[in-house]
Amino acid sequence: MASTGLDRRQFLKSSALAGGMLLSINLPMFRIANANTKASSDWCIYVEIKPDNSVVMASPVMDMGQHMKTTGPMMLADEMDLDWDKISFAEHCPAYLNKSEEGEIGYQYSDMGTGGSHAVRRNWDYMRTAGATARQMMIDQAAELWRVNPESLSTKASYVVHSATGKKLSYGYLAKGAATKKVDKSRIKLKQTKDYVIMGRDTYTVDLEQIVTGKPLFGIDAEYPGALQVMILRAPAQGASVDKANKEAALAIPGVIKLMDIEAQNEEYWTKDEKQIVSAGIAVVAESLWAAMQGKRALSASWKPSKAHQDQSSEHQQAKFRHLVAGDFEAKVRKNDGDVQAAFSQANRLIDETYETPLFAHACMEPFNCIADIREKDATIIVGHQFPHMVAEEVEKNTGIDALSVEVISQRMGGGFGRRFERDFLREAIYLSHTLKQPVKITWTREDEIERDFFAPAYVMRVKASLDENNKVTGWHHRQAQTRGGARDDCFPAKLVKNYKTEHFEYPSKIPTGPWRGPAHLQWTFAVESMTDELAYQANEDPLAFRFKLMQPHQAHDYEGWGAESIDSGRMAKCYESAAKMAKWGRKLSKNHGLGIAGHFTFGSYAAFVIEVSVSEQNELTLLDAWGAIDCGFAINPNHIRNQMEGGFIDGLNAALFNKVTVEKGQAVNNNFHTLRWMKMKESPNNIQVDIIQNNFPPTGVGEPPTAPAAAALANAIYAASGQRIRQLPLSDSIRI
Amino acid sequence: MSIEFKLNGQSVRVKASEKDMPLLWFIRENAGLKGTKFGCGIGQCGACTVHMNGEAVRSCSITVAQVKDTNIRTIEGLAKQSGELHPVQQAWMQVDVPQCGYCQAGQIMAASAMLSKNPSPSDKDIDSQMTNICRCGTYVRIRQAIKIAADNLAKEVV
Ligand code: FES
Ligand code: FES
Repeated sequence: MASTGLDRRQFLKSSALAGGMLLSINLPMFRIANANTKASSDWCIYVEIKPDNSVVMASPVMDMGQHMKTTGPMMLADEMDLDWDKISFAEHCPAYLNKSEEGEIGYQYSDMGTGGSHAVRRNWDYMRTAGATARQMMIDQAAELWRVNPESLSTKASYVVHSATGKKLSYGYLAKGAATKKVDKSRIKLKQTKDYVIMGRDTYTVDLEQIVTGKPLFGIDAEYPGALQVMILRAPAQGASVDKANKEAALAIPGVIKLMDIEAQNEEYWTKDEKQIVSAGIAVVAESLWAAMQGKRALSASWKPSKAHQDQSSEHQQAKFRHLVAGDFEAKVRKNDGDVQAAFSQANRLIDETYETPLFAHACMEPFNCIADIREKDATIIVGHQFPHMVAEEVEKNTGIDALSVEVISQRMGGGFGRRFERDFLREAIYLSHTLKQPVKITWTREDEIERDFFAPAYVMRVKASLDENNKVTGWHHRQAQTRGGARDDCFPAKLVKNYKTEHFEYPSKIPTGPWRGPAHLQWTFAVESMTDELAYQANEDPLAFRFKLMQPHQAHDYEGWGAESIDSGRMAKCYESAAKMAKWGRKLSKNHGLGIAGHFTFGSYAAFVIEVSVSEQNELTLLDAWGAIDCGFAINPNHIRNQMEGGFIDGLNAALFNKVTVEKGQAVNNNFHTLRWMKMKESPNNIQVDIIQNNFPPTGVGEPPTAPAAAALANAIYAASGQRIRQLPLSDSIRI
Repeated sequence: MSIEFKLNGQSVRVKASEKDMPLLWFIRENAGLKGTKFGCGIGQCGACTVHMNGEAVRSCSITVAQVKDTNIRTIEGLAKQSGELHPVQQAWMQVDVPQCGYCQAGQIMAASAMLSKNPSPSDKDIDSQMTNICRCGTYVRIRQAIKIAADNLAKEVV
């Protein structure tokens, strides 16, 4: 069978250069206001226009299921007035990198990273401006050919049109001459929303047909000439090292070429906790993946545990957290508005409850893999990573090869969720290829992926809140302990409750943690939206009406947290309202049924969900339908926003119900799907109806916002159905499903 | 003695020395068909689903020896010879099911095997027979696509 990796690279190169015109647009000094980015000052994306007027585009941002490979090109294509149906899409966009004087590696053109739901926000102005510039270049070229004023020309579906005479010329025809045109920034006109012809309409996944026919799109599918196949036997526990291994048996497997010891590599978290980036282990280098797998098994290693990790257990930590938040130990004060103590002392009602969330696994569907070819002065890396610049950076750091001499070929990712931000799988492949002086491909197993995960931190959150005699929330005190990571205390109820205090404990932990889809947002929302519900019931008020009241007065407040500039209670209220309306909130429900609602603001977008559940007499939970409303500003691609609303919410439900990793003595004990239960079709809601709030705010992300409200919405629904208030995830520990 | 079976209609031979190799790895590494995916290796996720004599099986948990003399079909062999996509693939496109896309070949193989036995599955049937994991949570769309495919298949038969 044909090898895929190189063929595709050649395809990419040829598709970008042969036959058509490659449009590189450099924008003069262009920056997104307020963007949290070290983004480059100019920008380019490949748009290749062929003489037959067809177009090949590449998205600067790779897809991991967040649909940026579709959304990115839509922004540019619309402003350029391309005919969307005539566009085909390159599999990858080469990573163009640059280096600052301080040696910091960044992107030469567009920002190619994906995470924190920022890809839309960071590319919105760049992409549109590039498209509008290219469009103007086409117009100028046509104006020159026709000797008419460019102002008299318009564009439509890859043509420049002179409406006075009815003449038109295709972009394919104009492209060659247009490529030399320079357009002054003052002449670049961006469209009004009403003039969009591609954006704002349901658009399909650009890789759709390749996906449903099983084309090799992912890193794990890539092949590379001469690459040795590697499986690594990794220490299952943090800090452990190899005690004994049957190396002879492994080497005796036909096809096994060599064994290489891998040393552990540690760094530090910002908390100064030790962070084990690479685990100790033995790499089995083989001619085939199957030989490497057999060799790995034959090693049947035993491990020397690390003394320092013997007390690293998730249950033990959770108990410590409980102890900390329950006592009156001094914590680090994060926010302190007004006077919570005074509010509590004057309270008509005071509620004090504690909410818990465990370590969540990422379980990216595609286990990690990486092809590395480290040569003398340059290198090629084929990998699915959320931040291509980090790939080149790792090569430079570990081999001394200049990052700008690294060819990074980004593959479609079988899930990322923040885990494909880490560097471990890169580092292993780079090290092996560098040492062996040969190209290698490493492939992880599911067990590796869970045992060596950087989990979502576990939280214990104690919330005390007070109501006055009008059932207005007067005080809110959030006190938490967690395995690293902060609190989303810039989100509501910040600014809504006058007396508002948050604090957290620093707790030393060697349990590895990292970003997990909307870091800390789901956990925060579980505590806040559960407590809000508890307050509503205490006040004997309808939970929806109670939230409407809390959102009053509707107002945009400054947002001091990461990823947004303002947070608007009116926009949040609208999402509650819409979700509730779709769910027919207030209707008479069947016996043992309940509706739960929760909403949250994540990185600039607002989402609220209602879910209906039933809880039988035998305490058996069934998830029925769900309804979700999102305000993510202008909706670039409603189809994919709905898809994220469905999938992101289900991911949140999975976190609420099942996703719990147990660590004992530094080792994740439930290391595959037989012991780490994962949501399937039968537990999932049958239907999720989505409403996208229409407005004209700049677009914001949708990859993370739908996830955060899920756990609280579900817990609230269980309460409504059964009177059972569950304050500890996973919910399936307390209810049968 | 080598082991013989049919892979997407073509005869393939595996050396006896490789008889214990899971079918998944034969398909991906030896035959170079990358549509069948590795997700867990222990029969739990369904990313590796293929058809064995028309039945959905998890290829990570079955050895090449066990598929001797059978017909194995992978996602690459699901479309008609003419290139026309299978109704399940068409429905998947109509609904635009995928997010990351990694699990989808396995989902499509599971759904097409189910529909060949049970052309109009109820929601309960779908619940009990579609047991593949989608990490991205595309279950709502998978269900919609299965129903559309079932309708289209029913029309084809008529
Ligand atoms: S890889 Fe075969 S079931 Fe998961
Ligand atoms: S689409 Fe990503 S795992 Fe199913």
